[in-house]
Amino acid sequence: MSMALDTPRASLRLPSLDKAAVWIVLVVLLLLAGLASDAFFKINYLTNLVRQAAPVGITAVGVTFVMLLRGVDLSVGAIVSMSAVVCALVMDGKAENLWLGIAAASACGAAIGLANGLLIAHGKVSAFILTLGMSIVVYGLVQMGTGGTARGIVSPGFREVLNSRVGGVLPVLVIFLLVAMAIGIFLQSRTRFGRSVYLIGANPDAARLAGLPVNRVTVIAYVVSGFFAGLGGLALLARTGVSGTNPGAGMEFDVLAAVVLGGTTFAGGRGSVGATFAGVMVLFIALNLANVAGLPYAAQLTIKGLIIIAASAAHSWIGWRVSARTQQ
Amino acid sequence: MPLLQTHALTRRFPGVLALDHVDFAAEAGEVHAVCGANGAGKSTLMNLLSGTITPTSGTISVNGETVSFVSPADARDAGIAIVYQEFSSIPELTVADNIFLGREFCGRFGAIDRRAASRAAADLLGRYGISLRPDALVGSLGVADRQLVEFARALATDARILILDEPTAVLSISEQAKLFGVIRTLRERGLLVLYISHRLEEVFEIADRVSVMRDGALVATREKSALTSSELVRLMTGRDVAANTAPALLVEGRRTALKLEGISENGVPLELREGEILGLAGLVGAGRTSIAHRIAGLRPRDGFSAALFGAALPDDPARVLAAGVVYMTEDRKRDGIFAPLAVTSNATAASLDRFALGSFLRLRRERAQAGEVLRGLRLVAASLDTPIGSLSGGNQQKVLFARALLARPKVLICDEPTRGADVGAKEEIYAVLRRLAAEGVAIILISSELNEVLALSHRIAVVRHGRITAVMDNAGLDEHALLVAATGAGSKNAAA
Repeated sequence: MSMALDTPRASLRLPSLDKAAVWIVLVVLLLLAGLASDAFFKINYLTNLVRQAAPVGITAVGVTFVMLLRGVDLSVGAIVSMSAVVCALVMDGKAENLWLGIAAASACGAAIGLANGLLIAHGKVSAFILTLGMSIVVYGLVQMGTGGTARGIVSPGFREVLNSRVGGVLPVLVIFLLVAMAIGIFLQSRTRFGRSVYLIGANPDAARLAGLPVNRVTVIAYVVSGFFAGLGGLALLARTGVSGTNPGAGMEFDVLAAVVLGGTTFAGGRGSVGATFAGVMVLFIALNLANVAGLPYAAQLTIKGLIIIAASAAHSWIGWRVSARTQQ
Repeated sequence: MPLLQTHALTRRFPGVLALDHVDFAAEAGEVHAVCGANGAGKSTLMNLLSGTITPTSGTISVNGETVSFVSPADARDAGIAIVYQEFSSIPELTVADNIFLGREFCGRFGAIDRRAASRAAADLLGRYGISLRPDALVGSLGVADRQLVEFARALATDARILILDEPTAVLSISEQAKLFGVIRTLRERGLLVLYISHRLEEVFEIADRVSVMRDGALVATREKSALTSSELVRLMTGRDVAANTAPALLVEGRRTALKLEGISENGVPLELREGEILGLAGLVGAGRTSIAHRIAGLRPRDGFSAALFGAALPDDPARVLAAGVVYMTEDRKRDGIFAPLAVTSNATAASLDRFALGSFLRLRRERAQAGEVLRGLRLVAASLDTPIGSLSGGNQQKVLFARALLARPKVLICDEPTRGADVGAKEEIYAVLRRLAAEGVAIILISSELNEVLALSHRIAVVRHGRITAVMDNAGLDEHALLVAATGAGSKNAAA
């Protein structure tokens, strides 16, 4: 028998399994990693790990919103590539173009997101197919823009600043990631947009009946996803420099894996940006462990795929258990 | 010996005795109607007979042999087939394909022998007088014909007992006649047809015998010829003319809140005053919910117009809501609750404007106001952060009430507000409705529970076929009078 509202015992309840799952996995993995290698808990190693995760992590913030809405965004890998390439081209090695390059890259991401959102909300196109198609379109545009060779030069100072460590310890890229996460968490829990995303994702029919602007929120969610992918592209550019015309290739799958690991599954309305952060870390620690164990890249790819499958199966199993328990 | 018999058949659900020692018997070659109010136990009985659920105790026997069904397949093997209200045929396939779905005629190498299937289908359809072309696409058929495809599918399993669950719920009068023709052929062929329906006029037209259920028990089985419609209603409700708790009188000088034109059969506009509770009475499928949806802008108004305090009501759901007309859904799961989300988020979903400063939420204010309203409704929940999906039906409904109240309605349309609520929660919901009306909110109440409509409404509008056929002051009305009006039994059975 449940209690009347707001009794003191309410605050003693543990978070439910579906919310805690990814954090439990993260702790277990951290312990495993600590056992596997003495170097793991060294501050440099840890910060380096988070630094590596920054491009995927920043991109995953935006994708979390889309997936909370029962959507998906497979175009983020291409947007990351586009953002990196556009940024380097606009900067053109000149210091005065620094901010222009950053703005252009973010704007490109948001613009692709806007196109995605408008077509999905008003064209009633399947998000899966549309963003897959959009990713091919964007790759094509990038190839056309660069003529197929790595071009463009970043502004002096861009890579140096982003790759430095504050006080010699905390990498600037890690701060970049944490700020992106913080913005995501704020959007998610303190704004009308964030609340509407949860409501619409949880039950679109009820949301419509409650008078929520379903189409507008959908468009904004894809813009947010594109924008964060644009930022992810900047982070990648800072890490790897001008390294090709397609540096973000395949990154959509890392992002998808991280978001699903965090518990933001395709069911909508469940999950959070915080859990996505945990998912990102689980993914990168797992890949790092595979690396330490000497597994080749191909095997790591297989592990990534298995993680996506296992995580979504586990979450739907947990969700099923939870709903079975609450059914009358 | 009866073809179908049950002995002390009992089914208990947690907290509910859905079926209580039912001894039911029906013969081959009869159309046997099963009547009863909502929740009387008809569906439970049919689900037991068709193997969808298993009995808590008691037995079922077919042709004198005791059978026990663990699955619908067992019931099918025993010759019992059920046709549900919802169509389960596949529109993209032909009639023959659908009839033998899952039991395809296979030739060599496992290829489907469509010619053999077509021949067998034609044979089956002819035997039962069903005039359908085996090679017609089901999607191209009308509703009645699709219903007949469902019949044929059931008959193809060599059923001797056919259970029809409200088969005419979606049919027009002429389509209904077609269906009845087939049912009579089935009877001539010696089948037992169990016919479940709310519509008394149909029961009197097609049935040979009538069994009446009430509160999980079988209260009577009668020959149709020995039964009048008013007696049947009395058996169903279990009450003679019940004393009606007179609702508070309308205060004079209240303005007209909602005016609906073109919805009444007699052409008189329907006016709903501030503080008035108007009950919509009618059978399941009579179109009450469709009227509510049309007012709320959830589907096109189709020839009627709505005005709120003299101004035309917009036809977009969000704008109808903003204007102060709030619709509470009858189907909580489908378009009511946001199951994984907290009670608070559920309560404020329709009034986020009031809990936001520009784009930003004012969480403390939201929590305070939602908490206040929910406490006023006496919500029982672990906390305001509990996911609504884990609450009981009655408490979920209270949260939906809170959502409606926080949206500050001028007109509130409640569709089955007490569905799934237990007795205590029901009384509390009634109290809320009365209080709202006293505060001046105009309320349209849709409920299949006639006693609920009678206990709460100032006036009652009867709905048949999507239109309002009569509006009555709720003075001296009883369930009997209401059921007669809702079924149209009065007009039909005067001659019988």
